[in-house]
Amino acid sequence: MTDLARMIAAKAVSPVEVVRAHLDRIAALDGDLHAYITVDGDAALAAARAAEAELMAGRPVGPLHGVPYALKDLYDTAGVRTTGGSRILGERVPQADATVVRRLAEAGAIVLGKLNMVEFAYGPEGLNPHYGHARNPWDRAVHRMAGGSSSGSGVAVAAGLAPGSLGSDTGGSIRIPSSLCGITGLKPTYGRVSRAGVLPLAWSMDHVGPMTRSAADCALMLRAIAGYDAADASTSVLPVPDYGAALTGDLKGLRVGLLRGFFLEGAAPEVRASVETAARVLAAAGAVVDDVTLDQMQHVAGASLAIVGSEALAYHAERLRTRAGEFDPDVARRLRAGAYVTGVHYVRAQQARALVRDEVDRALARRDVLLAPSTPVAAPPVDARQIELGDGQSDIRTALVRFNRPFNLSGHPSCSVPCGFTAAGLPVGMQFVGRPFDEATVLRAADGWQRLTDFHVRHPVLG
Amino acid sequence: MNDEAIDLETLRRGARLAGFSWSDAELEEIRPMVIAGLRMLHSLEAAPVGDVEPTTHYRTV
Repeated sequence: MTDLARMIAAKAVSPVEVVRAHLDRIAALDGDLHAYITVDGDAALAAARAAEAELMAGRPVGPLHGVPYALKDLYDTAGVRTTGGSRILGERVPQADATVVRRLAEAGAIVLGKLNMVEFAYGPEGLNPHYGHARNPWDRAVHRMAGGSSSGSGVAVAAGLAPGSLGSDTGGSIRIPSSLCGITGLKPTYGRVSRAGVLPLAWSMDHVGPMTRSAADCALMLRAIAGYDAADASTSVLPVPDYGAALTGDLKGLRVGLLRGFFLEGAAPEVRASVETAARVLAAAGAVVDDVTLDQMQHVAGASLAIVGSEALAYHAERLRTRAGEFDPDVARRLRAGAYVTGVHYVRAQQARALVRDEVDRALARRDVLLAPSTPVAAPPVDARQIELGDGQSDIRTALVRFNRPFNLSGHPSCSVPCGFTAAGLPVGMQFVGRPFDEATVLRAADGWQRLTDFHVRHPVLG
Repeated sequence: MNDEAIDLETLRRGARLAGFSWSDAELEEIRPMVIAGLRMLHSLEAAPVGDVEPTTHYRTV
């Protein structure tokens, strides 16, 4: 996106050409990949022609002028259906844009379309029986999980069907597909980016953020969407820094805590090896790396279950009473299970959440970032149910969310970046976690890593 | 509560208390999930929460 923005501003390439090239690629590949639910081609081309006219007229333009992107189909878009990946909302057409969609438009960005996702964002595998399972583009022989719930966002960026996208993350839904699809995804601090006009899964755990090919692209998108919004009471009044200016490429003296125990020792051997190698590369570049172990992680699964289970059921209760048969049966089962969470469970979970948050804060008191795998495994086949991790067998769903949920509970910012490939050629991801509202340092670390490596510029071979 | 205590009648009562009327087949489908979930929720009692004040979201600045 940074390259496209620069080339468009310099009139080296036309926004119409850029948009048309992406629409052609979508037409050629998306029948198989299922990244999009709705392609808004005519509107995208019209916006591109208008963007070109403004440039040629010499009018001042925004930082993303003429740059296309796509967004998970839970962001409201005025006049364009927003389904939440469901049949129930299949014909729902919002009257207004979500705050972040409006802000990206003000920055000059152009919407290509709405992306596939797990129904109502409730699941990490990336499957959707209504619109087709998004296909991980890194394996043409085996249908593998794209990761979710922002499955289409991961696939579209990895496959070149959009240069950047927006996802949402309640238990890893930006970082899981970023890891499995080999792209870069940022879950900002809770309160950094407005969720107004975004369908919720669990209000107190939901984060929205960019999914792109590089940390520099995430910085560009975050600058455009971050900041206080009167329509979202959780947003912070803290000023939004110039994230691009933080990308110095300098890792000297950066204090990195490598998360062992629950994190590194829980990952499959190939993932663990990739992250340990990355830590050595960072140290060789001047970072100060030490080991950290967090002791409160055993409470994360129960706390997340109580909070997400009850908040999600509260949001969907009426639909579950009146239109249960139209849900993905798997999502309906998960929603129903939320009815057995009591008020005491919920409050206990919020207490455990405070413990987790304080422990992460303490770990970051003398460090700039923490480093951990994003997912314990690379993309599993879509029909996989169990998987072998570093510390034993796990069901796939628990495994995928395991390293992500702690930072949804705690609210700390986290950026997933590609850090290697398995012997089978599947991408491996790791995440940098930072202090609250210090996305600048998280992005500096991620960008510094990407200046040392080429994992993020490799692309799957597609027809 | 042990796993055996989560029988169909317990699930029916829980659903009714929460304001839902689900069929026995729907309840049997979620029984393993509810049992596993309650096990996790009960384990929260081991968290050293003391008089820690519950949070609902990250402190907004």
